[in-house]
Amino acid sequence: MAVVVIMPRQGQSVESCILTEWYKEEGEQVSKGDLLFAYETDKAAFEEEAPNDGLLLARFFLEGDEVPVLQNVAVIGVEGDSVEEFRPQGDPDRSLKEEVANEGVVVEAEPVTPEPLATVSVSQSNGRTTISPRARKLACKKRVMLENLQGTGPGGRIIERDVLEAIRHGKRLTPLAKKKMEAEGLTVPAGSNEECGRYRTSDLVEPAPSAAGTAGLEGRGSYSDVPLSNVRKIIAGAMQRSLQNSAQLTHHMSANVSGMLELRRQVKARQKDGYPYNITLNDMACYAAIRSLKLHPGANAHFLGESIRQFSQVNLGLAVDTDRGLMVPALLNADLLSLPGLSVSLKEMADRSKQGSISPDLIVPEAASFTVSNLGNYGVEMFTPVINLPQVAILGVNTIILRPAALPDGNFGFQPFMGLSLTYDHRAIDGGPATLFLAEIKNQIESLTTDLL
Amino acid sequence: MPKTQFINPAEARKSKTLNLGTIPVNVYNKSIKDELSRFSKDDLVRIYRDMLIIREFETMLNLIKTKEEFNGVAYTHPGPAHLSIGQEAAAVGMAYKLDIDDYIFGSHRSHGEILAKGLSAIQKLDDDILYKIMKNFFDGRILSIVEKGHKGDMKSLGLKFLIYGTLAEVFARETGFNKGLGGSMHAFFTPFGIYPNNAIVGGSGDIAVGAALYKKVNRKSGIVVANIGDASLGCGPVWEGMSFAAMDQYHELWEGDMQGGLPIIFNIMNNQYGMGGQTCGETMGYTIAARVGAAVNRENMYAERVDGYNPLAVIDAYERKMQLMEEKKGPILLDVLTYRYSGHSPSDSSSYRSKEEVEAWESVDSILSYGKELIEAGLADQFTLDQIKKETDDLIMGSFKLSIDDQLSPRMDLVANPGLIGDMMYSNGSVDAMEEGPLDTLMPLEENPRVKQIARKERYAFDDKRKPYSAMKQYQFRDGIFEAIVDRFYKDSTLVAYGEENRDWGGAFAVYRGLTEALPYHRLFNSPISEGAIVGTAIGYGMCGGRVIPEIMYCDFLGRAGDEVFNQLPKWQAMSGNLIKMPVVLRVSVGSKYGAQHSQDWSSLVAHIPGIKVVFPATPYDAKGLMNAALQGTDPVIYLESQRLYGIGEEFHKEGVPEEYYEIPLGEPDIKRPGEDITILTIGATLYRAMEAAKQLEDQYGMSAEIIDARSLVPFNYELVLESLKKTGRILLLSDASERGSYLKDMAHNITELGFDDLDAPPVVVGSRNWIIPAYELEDYFFPQPSWIVDAIHEKIVPLKNHTSTQNFTSGEQLRRSRLGV
Repeated sequence: MAVVVIMPRQGQSVESCILTEWYKEEGEQVSKGDLLFAYETDKAAFEEEAPNDGLLLARFFLEGDEVPVLQNVAVIGVEGDSVEEFRPQGDPDRSLKEEVANEGVVVEAEPVTPEPLATVSVSQSNGRTTISPRARKLACKKRVMLENLQGTGPGGRIIERDVLEAIRHGKRLTPLAKKKMEAEGLTVPAGSNEECGRYRTSDLVEPAPSAAGTAGLEGRGSYSDVPLSNVRKIIAGAMQRSLQNSAQLTHHMSANVSGMLELRRQVKARQKDGYPYNITLNDMACYAAIRSLKLHPGANAHFLGESIRQFSQVNLGLAVDTDRGLMVPALLNADLLSLPGLSVSLKEMADRSKQGSISPDLIVPEAASFTVSNLGNYGVEMFTPVINLPQVAILGVNTIILRPAALPDGNFGFQPFMGLSLTYDHRAIDGGPATLFLAEIKNQIESLTTDLL
Repeated sequence: MPKTQFINPAEARKSKTLNLGTIPVNVYNKSIKDELSRFSKDDLVRIYRDMLIIREFETMLNLIKTKEEFNGVAYTHPGPAHLSIGQEAAAVGMAYKLDIDDYIFGSHRSHGEILAKGLSAIQKLDDDILYKIMKNFFDGRILSIVEKGHKGDMKSLGLKFLIYGTLAEVFARETGFNKGLGGSMHAFFTPFGIYPNNAIVGGSGDIAVGAALYKKVNRKSGIVVANIGDASLGCGPVWEGMSFAAMDQYHELWEGDMQGGLPIIFNIMNNQYGMGGQTCGETMGYTIAARVGAAVNRENMYAERVDGYNPLAVIDAYERKMQLMEEKKGPILLDVLTYRYSGHSPSDSSSYRSKEEVEAWESVDSILSYGKELIEAGLADQFTLDQIKKETDDLIMGSFKLSIDDQLSPRMDLVANPGLIGDMMYSNGSVDAMEEGPLDTLMPLEENPRVKQIARKERYAFDDKRKPYSAMKQYQFRDGIFEAIVDRFYKDSTLVAYGEENRDWGGAFAVYRGLTEALPYHRLFNSPISEGAIVGTAIGYGMCGGRVIPEIMYCDFLGRAGDEVFNQLPKWQAMSGNLIKMPVVLRVSVGSKYGAQHSQDWSSLVAHIPGIKVVFPATPYDAKGLMNAALQGTDPVIYLESQRLYGIGEEFHKEGVPEEYYEIPLGEPDIKRPGEDITILTIGATLYRAMEAAKQLEDQYGMSAEIIDARSLVPFNYELVLESLKKTGRILLLSDASERGSYLKDMAHNITELGFDDLDAPPVVVGSRNWIIPAYELEDYFFPQPSWIVDAIHEKIVPLKNHTSTQNFTSGEQLRRSRLGV
């Protein structure tokens, strides 16, 4: 009997995924556990395994198709099994709804005006966001960003009420900003409308150069236009917004890590005796940062425009380089962990990010209260990390270099120093407290002892 | 069936033989010599000249069509030219006796008839009156062209006017008799009593009867001649026209000076071919066309065959038949035998007939024979005939040159005036009475039993507590129509109404109850079951200047009046160059309950046709106001009435339906229920289902619907709808017409274009299924129901919380139905 493979739902907010790659051909024999296809959401990539042995009888979508979650994607069975009954009918986006209507099943949806907006079962079709002309006009007039709006119209179309909802809850312009924008032809920064609050005059930017501005490039040598992946688009938007919408500056300081290196040597030595934790320098730096955050809650916070939200726990974001680009997964309640516990959790989190199996809910900027970005492995001596808004600070961890320094015995010698670069949002934190916070991290690093192992 | 006529079974069932009597064939046997006492020399010579003018006119066109030049002057005429070379004697004979008060109607092959009738009129008209006609026509524009450098008398100026006006019309020049909008097959000139040619075979067969009806009812002098071909006897509307013209009631029931037959002659220009089909021996079975008179009435329509190769034979017949007309013995049928040498059109290679046959007829050519007789009778010598030929050639050549001169005879400048033709589609008049005349009525209006009955009714459906009055007590939709019509009957003496069961019975749906008491037969009567003739005669009646309300009992029967509704009624105002008006209000009742051939809403079909206005009221207030406006106008209006609504009271207009006269302008929709969240645009009776749906939407989904009743389809002012859309952002359109090709789709398209940025979802059309209409008990699966509206909104416009659809409005289903054509 044929088995259907569906598009899994990854995260509550995910309505559809892009099927990025097929690993098996139609008609190919597959074994349980074989990778069947890869897919990605806005934020993460995943791979789906074959649920059982058999012949891949049908693939219902092509690479690049946007597939509503829970939609039939493939059928595995034996030669001669019928697949047609599993094929999504007509417009793939419609099939779910059609069944619903045919069977007279109640569709979850919302009344016209009243509040909480639910979505219809499927959303965008063919990778395109559909939007009604009226909603588009309203969004344009009210300067509402459309990209992350969830449509609640037929087939997931963004309709007027979705924009109205966004206006009620979303970020808008202050009256002054609106005036200035109209007068000077400025625009709000590109990107999604995830933040709350209002755009102020200081947020406004020049509009992106039009196509005409790039005319004439042709014939000046060859190039290729590589379309942005969803993950790239997210990063691009987040980074640009961060730099445009906050007052960032970076302080640099160095910590003497002779003690830290000793600790690392001890870890390695104990590992030979079966010590299970491979605690890295990065784990230790993160640990130091977490301890410091507990003492400086002003840095463990989100800047919300009208208020600053200080967190009582530390949700540590860790910048992870993956094949698909930068990801910053969050480790919730990191302050509750011991150094070995932190080490294990961070490793697991980084691995999941690289595999693409991290929950999308953990990689949104709001998930973390503070972020650490470690470029030490790459020999970077100093950098200015970019804050993940709405967080108010980020710690950059640099490589270790030897520096002449006064030794405890009064002689001069070379000591290992690790560079620490703290970028903070001056809107939320002043220079003094920021320096004190950075100094605390340095202090924590220099105070690491073996009893933490 | 009036009660005064008793059908006695003993009489009806009696055994006897029907004696059809005799029909004369070619009885005239005189020569010119024999007729010298009857005609003057000038008349007899002029008959020759008139035939020659027609011959040369047609020969010129034949050369232009086949050689693209005439007498060395190159010219291309891409349009039609159905020539009548060979038929000149028939045309001149037909027109000879006719006065300008006598009207002729034609066919696609009627240049000869136009010229013959024009020549006859010019001859008969006093010079001053002739000049005045020419001077007044299009402000003297044609006259100024032919008058320049004219030497000669008024009649020869008239000739130039006639030839030039006709030719310029054939060549589609703005200086033609109909501004070039009629052309070869539709040319006419009413001041000379020349009414339209008709490109549809047999098209004049019923229209001309309407003109005769107009003359009779309005006591106008003159007769009407329907020039139709022998092959048109195969056309239903011709038979319908003859039946309509031969109704017994003219003699049996019409009273006083109205008693007696219609003044009409069906003049069959029998050239023995219908295109290439030979009517005698191949495509028809009558052998001699005059035979069909025996099928129509007991007088055999006074039918006879006349030798149309001898002008004097035709004139003789007319003289005798016009005497019968004086005695009100119409209709009359003349089978005027003739022959055309030219093909059906110049592109025709005459593959359907032998050379010998053509030559045989040419050898007895009417012009040659008649010329010879003139010489034999000593009325002319060859020199005189040559002189006539030369003058004719000069006349034709001169007119030809003028008519192809782009400076003098330009075509309509649609670049400078892009709206020129558009401006002619309607006359948009506002006229109380088409003519002042004695109002033939049988009683003062206030004494009419129906009027008295209505006076006791409640003109708003609800009492103070919004409790509806009983159905009997309510002023009904049918009362609204009645009031408007009866009012006009007492204002406009030309107004007549007819259709199936319009008298006695009071109309199948009791709209006309009370009119029988108010009006004599000649203003309200039962017609034969002939939808083609019902509409066709109304067209003739209207174009002559009378106001008329024909009725089609079921919308489904419109197909029976297809040519009249599609090709005739909408076209003649513009094709005349705006010379004539068409004050015809065609009442069409839209059924239900009676299945596939009695329940269709064909509003979309008629709305598609340029040139007619279409209204579809849904409330008594709108019914009366729109009927008043339609009757005040001068344009053809199709007035659709739903049989679901005849008994309904006025539920919207709180002041009630006014007793006094008021008009609702055609083309203006009306908000029947204000709302905020969605607009529902309805046509006709679906208004009430939309109201039910609105209640459901409000009660169950908190959605407030604004309902707009279109009231009119053509014209239609979208402003109100677009304004509503600005507010609601959503629109659903509703009608009982089958969804595919529905006029709603056109409206939805316009709304999309005009209000695109205001749309929060595509305009959604809900119509009937693309099926046959099933039995009454199954109708709810065919016609749109209130629940369908909610379903369609849920599926296509905005999902409604906890809604369960009963109908499938998904895109998949839409694709499937479309793929299957259902």
